[in-house]
Amino acid sequence: MKRAIDAGFMLCLECHAVNRQDPDNPEAGQICTRCHAPVYPRRPGSLARTWALLITAAILYIPANLLPIMVVSSFGKGSGDTIMSGVIALIHYDMVPIAIVVFVASILVPTFKLVGMGLLLYSVQRHQPLSARQRGVMYRFIEWIGRWSMLDVFVIAILVALVNFGSIAQITAGMGAVAFALVVILTMLAAISFDPRLIWDNTESEEDHDE
Amino acid sequence: MSESPPSPDALKQLAPEQLVICHECDLLMAKMHLADGEKAQCPRCGFELYHHQANMLTRSLALVLAALLLFVPANFMPIMSLGLLGQHNNETVWSAVLALYQSEMALVALIVFLSSMLIPLLKLLCQGWVLLTLQLKLPAGFALWLYRIYHQMREWGMLEVYMFGVLVSIVKMVDLGDLSMGVGLVCFIGLLVCQIWLEATMSEHQVWEMLDELRTEQQVDEVMDEACD
Ligand SMILES: [Zn+2]
Ligand SMILES: [Zn+2]
Repeated sequence: MKRAIDAGFMLCLECHAVNRQDPDNPEAGQICTRCHAPVYPRRPGSLARTWALLITAAILYIPANLLPIMVVSSFGKGSGDTIMSGVIALIHYDMVPIAIVVFVASILVPTFKLVGMGLLLYSVQRHQPLSARQRGVMYRFIEWIGRWSMLDVFVIAILVALVNFGSIAQITAGMGAVAFALVVILTMLAAISFDPRLIWDNTESEEDHDE
Repeated sequence: MSESPPSPDALKQLAPEQLVICHECDLLMAKMHLADGEKAQCPRCGFELYHHQANMLTRSLALVLAALLLFVPANFMPIMSLGLLGQHNNETVWSAVLALYQSEMALVALIVFLSSMLIPLLKLLCQGWVLLTLQLKLPAGFALWLYRIYHQMREWGMLEVYMFGVLVSIVKMVDLGDLSMGVGLVCFIGLLVCQIWLEATMSEHQVWEMLDELRTEQQVDEVMDEACD
């Protein structure tokens, strides 16, 4: 199978137009002939930028899970809810299906994204003999699922507006919500800045060595 | 692969317009012509390359229009309301943003505002202008730029996630007080359906190609005009 980069072509990631590389300077970036976005054979600095975003997200992941994401106060008594305690409370109230949804969106998905993106980056840098097709599927899944973690942020927004009865009952957002929203955004940015073509580059070069 | 693709060296001789490159794995292929409703998939990594829609322009325009009409009621009419000890509170998408802002969570308020209101609206406006440009032969340059902006915003509009947020909130609140659904919820669901349908209908590769053709036409016209003068 032939890579575009070897045949002297490159794809515009914005509009998917095929652009011809400059034969004298194939690595150089150009302006897409169709949509005028910058085009490169591979996104420059993709790995370093993805690592930086991912590490920042991993650091914020700690306060996101430890600090309360919302505070429920009623008749002067207030209690903070972290992401995990919110899920446990749902189980106690016999709302297991919703508890599972929230658990998947707020705990499983962000964790999976952090670990998954880290593995992808590591495998690309270390030429790990993982199946490229599987890693491609994993990347697409991570990219697709990222936005769903915003679920808890939206739930907080809705509850803060809905439960606003002064001293009788009130819900406010906690600092954990800020950290959590930032984790979601940073991991989404990390998935976007990663160039999935790098996954396939490694496998190609290994095959080339065998020949 | 079964239909014996041209050899790599033959591919090299083709013009860029006759080629397709996979976005995910950089595989180079000769472009296939698709009939209405067909889609092309990458043989190596399985990524959907492009699909072809019949009556794309008129169907998409109708959906953009419907979505824009629903936008205001979906965001400013009550999604649900909660009654507790005789008091009633309405929640709209906009009031949720305001409530967060007032509880000193400006950053979260901004994120919710962008992903549930502003970006979905800007996306619709970009799509609408691009479709109008193609329909009425308006200047293509601006529409090409707008469609690029649309492409960058695409992931950041999160109406469907918000919809799930509404469902989770309903389940959480249903035992707490007197919960009722509002007109805003119906409009919001309508908006969401229009948007999902629109994104499936407005085939990106068709739009890019039509915009490119339109610009080429307009450039030819310009040259002709100058030659006449
Ligand atoms: Zn382009
Ligand atoms: Zn592919």
